Amino acid sequence: MQRQVALIKQSLFDQGYLDDQFMELEELQDDANPNFVEEVATLYFKDSARLINNIDQALERGSFDFSRLDSYMHQFKGSSTSIGASKVKTECTTFREYCRVGNAEGCLRTFQQLKKEHATWQDRRGLGRQHVGPSKERDK
Amino acid sequence: MTVKQDFGAVDQFPVGMRVLAVDDDQTCLRILETLLHRCQYHVTTTDRAETALELLRENRDKFDLVISDVDMPDMDGFKLLELVGLEMDLPVIMLSAHSDPKFVMKGVKHGACDYLLKPVRIEELKNIWQHVVRKSKLKKMKSSLSNGDSDGNPDQNRLKANRKRKDQFQEEEDEEERGGNENDDPTAQKKPRVLWTRELHNKFLAAVDHLGVEKAVPKKILDLMNVDKLTRENVASHLQKYRSALKKINNEANQQANMAAIDSHFMQMSSLKGLGGHHNHHRAIPLGSGQFYGGAATMRHYLSNRTFGRLNSVSGMFPHVSSSRPRNHNDGGYILQGLPIPPLDGLHIENNNNNNNNNKAFPMVLEGHAQSSSPSLNPGFSPHFEVNKRLDHWSNSVLSPNVPQSDVHSKPDALEWNLFSDSATPLDKEPSSFCRNTGLGSSNAYNLGPMTDAQQLRSSDPKEGLFMGQHKLESDFLASDAGSLDDLVNTLMTQEQSQADFSEGDLGFGWFNSLRTCI
Repeated sequence: MQRQVALIKQSLFDQGYLDDQFMELEELQDDANPNFVEEVATLYFKDSARLINNIDQALERGSFDFSRLDSYMHQFKGSSTSIGASKVKTECTTFREYCRVGNAEGCLRTFQQLKKEHATWQDRRGLGRQHVGPSKERDK
Repeated sequence: MTVKQDFGAVDQFPVGMRVLAVDDDQTCLRILETLLHRCQYHVTTTDRAETALELLRENRDKFDLVISDVDMPDMDGFKLLELVGLEMDLPVIMLSAHSDPKFVMKGVKHGACDYLLKPVRIEELKNIWQHVVRKSKLKKMKSSLSNGDSDGNPDQNRLKANRKRKDQFQEEEDEEERGGNENDDPTAQKKPRVLWTRELHNKFLAAVDHLGVEKAVPKKILDLMNVDKLTRENVASHLQKYRSALKKINNEANQQANMAAIDSHFMQMSSLKGLGGHHNHHRAIPLGSGQFYGGAATMRHYLSNRTFGRLNSVSGMFPHVSSSRPRNHNDGGYILQGLPIPPLDGLHIENNNNNNNNNKAFPMVLEGHAQSSSPSLNPGFSPHFEVNKRLDHWSNSVLSPNVPQSDVHSKPDALEWNLFSDSATPLDKEPSSFCRNTGLGSSNAYNLGPMTDAQQLRSSDPKEGLFMGQHKLESDFLASDAGSLDDLVNTLMTQEQSQADFSEGDLGFGWFNSLRTCI
């Protein structure tokens, strides 16, 4: 089971979903903070779900308020960067670029991609969590 | 301060440093909190800027440092930064995912100590304590500078003070101050800043009057004032400022008087050479001025509105006129006729030396003199120019490079002055720079306003007026103008001036010298 978790995690790294920053976070986990990574990830997904929702709504409305979208995306980028979600971060940057030039279609497209990657990561993480309880130590 | 891995020792800065972290992003906040804990700081977090402000306002001593995100929904991070800086004067570090230099610049301009990019790394957080140290050191320096005490920054203050204090009459204070500077440790406790209110200043003035300006020593003044919680150092520094302010003012007054005198004495001007050895002061001054000529460029920084120095400094263009400033006729020191301030002879000589060496380096050498580097002092001189305009005898021809630094003095101050003023006018090159450089210049102008008027009133009776004016001025200053003197003193406090003493003598005289040769 642990191996599975490790594998899942490894795949996330390999595929670029996670980067060095995530490893830094893992290093912060210690006896004083045994579930640090888990906590942070939970927070992140909560935040990101909210943001994605907001962006979805904004895009559905059809009126592309680029500055607002940009602002959402900036927040999203901030958290993603902090947690080391590198793919998501990249998509955020792309999205913001499209916002900057006012390319609505580009924004939409990017956002779809972003959601997909985000979901993938979340799922895998969920998988990992299902296999291994949060209290168990993870492989480093 | 060393970073010790000692969890129990909260006093071992930076361990236990209290940080307030503000970020609306929960993820980032959590990560930041953990990172900070890892650095052994004591962390308080909040996701709202308003809450952060409340916490800080509740007790500003509760935190050593604030780290704040830039983008927050309830308040702009920069605004929070400003408010914290203004209200609590705590170091604030900005945090953002924006790496745009524009934002970094904005942060710096709003007073941020540092600007970190997300994702924050622990290495960066390990060093943030330096900002706390730096800030507290700056605070100490600022408070000690404003008090005039030297304990916060002994070297800097002493340097400044020493320059100012080369005057003989400051010697006492020198010793006293030095004695008082036991506290050489900049991180030692801050002395509370003494606010010299009008009342306090009046007491001070009364004490000084009672003792006589020459004899006024901080200890006695302190005793006479009999104010609680006032230390000798406070009085000493205030006295120092007061004296230099007086000097400046009196110089201005003298110059005004001189101008008036020159006007009337214009025709009486004897030959340049013949003006020798008129007064002791003169002698000294021309020397100084000679130097000024040499060091023209440096006189830019002055404060005063007089053209004297300016003309001189204009690259030796001005002829050295033996300067016998009318006021020099009196032996009471060339500045303060009536004031019991020791003559500036010593100063002059010193000035000479200084000027020789330091012309290039003296930033505000000439306080109270319009001795700036160029005649462009005109703008600053408006009050004086009014007087100057009356003297339009001289033209550019006056500007001869020859500067007989000698002691040709005389009464043809009027002539010189005219020379000066006239030549000054065309030479008005950098008014703005002059004014700019002389931070005090504008305040001088302001302060001199009343003086100028008074002076002009007296100008009709130049010779007499000269002397009288000086006396009157001095009395005016001592007695009534607490307000403006206060302003002056305050300005002085904020300015780092020194060398007022030297420059004054030199510039004025040199200026005259230059005028002389023209004749």
